[in-house]
Amino acid sequence: MRRAAIPALAGALAVLLTACSPGLTIFSNYRSLENLELVRTVTADTAREGVHVTICSTAGEKSDARMYGRVGPSIGVALGELIHLPLGREAILSHTENLLIGEAYVKEGLAQCLDYMERFSEMRLDTGILIVRGGTAKDLVEGLTGGETPAPDAIAGLGRIAARIGRGYFFTCRQIAASLAENGCALAMSVRGEKADKLFEDRGELDIEPAGFAVLRPGEDPVFLSDEETWGALMLLGLFRSRNVDLPVGDTVLTVSVDKAGASYTPRFDGQGLAGVDIALTAQANVICMEGDGDLKDPAYREKAEKALEEALRQAAGAALDRSRVLQVDFLDLAGIVRRKAPLKFEGVADKWGEIFPELPLTVTVKAELTRTFDIVDPPAVSKGEEAKSPWEKLTDSLRDS
Amino acid sequence: MGKTDRLSERQLTVLLFVSLLSPMIRILPTAAVVFAGRAAWLSPPVALAMAGVPLALTRAARRRANPGEGLAELIIRGLGKVGGRIFCAAAALWLTFYGGFIARSAAERLLATVYPNGGPGIFIAVMLGVALITGSGLTKNLARTAEVLMPVLVAVIAVVLFSAAPDVETVNLLPVTLRDGPGILFGALPIFNVLTAFEYFLFLSGHVEQNGAKKPRRFPWMPTLAAVALAVTFFTLGTLGEALSVSMENAFFMLIRNIRIFGVVERVESVVVAIWIVTDFIFLGAVIMVVSEIWRSVTGVKRRQAFVPPTAALSGAAAFLITGGAFELQRWSDTLIPAINMSFTVILIPGALLITMLRKK
Repeated sequence: MRRAAIPALAGALAVLLTACSPGLTIFSNYRSLENLELVRTVTADTAREGVHVTICSTAGEKSDARMYGRVGPSIGVALGELIHLPLGREAILSHTENLLIGEAYVKEGLAQCLDYMERFSEMRLDTGILIVRGGTAKDLVEGLTGGETPAPDAIAGLGRIAARIGRGYFFTCRQIAASLAENGCALAMSVRGEKADKLFEDRGELDIEPAGFAVLRPGEDPVFLSDEETWGALMLLGLFRSRNVDLPVGDTVLTVSVDKAGASYTPRFDGQGLAGVDIALTAQANVICMEGDGDLKDPAYREKAEKALEEALRQAAGAALDRSRVLQVDFLDLAGIVRRKAPLKFEGVADKWGEIFPELPLTVTVKAELTRTFDIVDPPAVSKGEEAKSPWEKLTDSLRDS
Repeated sequence: MGKTDRLSERQLTVLLFVSLLSPMIRILPTAAVVFAGRAAWLSPPVALAMAGVPLALTRAARRRANPGEGLAELIIRGLGKVGGRIFCAAAALWLTFYGGFIARSAAERLLATVYPNGGPGIFIAVMLGVALITGSGLTKNLARTAEVLMPVLVAVIAVVLFSAAPDVETVNLLPVTLRDGPGILFGALPIFNVLTAFEYFLFLSGHVEQNGAKKPRRFPWMPTLAAVALAVTFFTLGTLGEALSVSMENAFFMLIRNIRIFGVVERVESVVVAIWIVTDFIFLGAVIMVVSEIWRSVTGVKRRQAFVPPTAALSGAAAFLITGGAFELQRWSDTLIPAINMSFTVILIPGALLITMLRKK
């Protein structure tokens, strides 16, 4: 056999044996583009007969976005039928971006959904999972206002900004499955529909809004965190990106953008084991607007503002930590943090973690810093009809006062 | 052995690297994580150190080989004509069965990753057909194919792992303490098991060109393969975590399913699996070539090609013998295959070579 024959044969077989060769393969996975319905969002809700599944496709060049629904005894059966049925087209799940699970379906369906997504070769582990709070996922995607593809576009948009506005984080199937497997609990972002103006005649009138983190445990209903607890959890988990906060400082209200916030942990051990965990929270913020006559040049004013910010951060972090301990669910993975910081000492308390955790003394210290004012030191003055004083007059006035 | 069927030492080592990539990727990272947990990424270097011992032994033994002599001739010289031939025949029978296992596991991988609704039959048949053609050809042709493919494979691994890097979380890989030592050691065993399979390829060493007193140029296949094993374990474990990695049969392919290259290209698993299938072709072709070479040495027949069709047929039968789908295959892969393989590569072949060296034959 000639030297070039083997690589050529191997290459040809590789092409023949995979989906690379349109229409020619033995078990061809090739599907004509014209007949594909590219699914971007899938929903799952509880139904009397099992589960109600909806798929939302994207709009192609010559087609509109569509939604199809089906009820089945399990997500595998319902989705399996749904992807082959709609109107002579074939739904392809390989580019699914998000799975929305209705609040009521989490308890019985979460594990099944995760398992299906891990097993089914078309789905990807990085598909985002969102819990729909206070309603069904189907109603939310059907009721959304917007353009041609309201649900996938709105959800994708929310995914891009959730962490940047400090109101959530899109956890993926991989992250949730890994957390459930390792810690017995996981966080997922929850969303809800808020009534809004109807933009299009044939569309709904709901806006999708972040609704805090949902704490997931196998076989249990989700528990939802408040907005403040979600903010605290974001900082404590190192997922925080940004959030605008109003701070009351004396008679003024200073709005700052917290752009950096993170926690470092120091476990304390004594002769009897784990004595507590010190949590040091550090944050940096920028002034983005001010209401009132605050003087940002005055160090005392800035210090007051920083103290107010520290208090807000302490409250948020404390709220998340308290909720975790009240629920007795370590969704902030304190066990993992202590284990990584002191692996050998942690072995002594690992078995008793469930008992120690709710009573574990936690000390939170916060250090916040205002770093810039974006070139505006004083807010734009609003004239009250008095004649403006010249700089010379202001100087002589101040000398006279002193 | 014809004078035209010669390959260089470098080509033999490249053939080794490309062939053994296939089983290495099949077992990692799960096989190591089961024992070592989050410290599994430290198992490949340990396995490399362990595999250095049989590598040194076989190199020492090969220095005693006459020109044109492979491992089979050395063993027959050392153990005697009857004992040596029985030993080599047993190795050939085992490798024939192992060839079937390679074909079956490659088919199952295709079914699990790309063709969920298919059956293994057609894939096994095609693989054995290719192995029949490559096995009947010259050893240097197969080695040359491996040489051509190696940069492609390394590039694909690099791109895939580079794309997975943003998802790696250090919490999945640390901390590692001294108490992880035994786990790391046990985790190294499956990797060591794959690395020591190089001994089978030395049955082809009679085809290697002799350069007189010159030191042969070799591709550092073992450190490179260990580095690939380390990278695959590190990135897969770092992305999926210990619990998920252990729950998956093919965690690396799950990782590939998620890959987005530069945020633009996604769903590349078909292409990656296709490239991997080519390594299976080469591995299977090499194993069938080795078996035919052993039979040639045992029987004294001049042309080893005569043994290729019956070997391919028997391997095919073995592939179909493994029934019960992925469950049965996993059971074989976890227990019987490594046990027999290690018996040969850690005890029997080194033992036979030691006897040969001690008897100064």
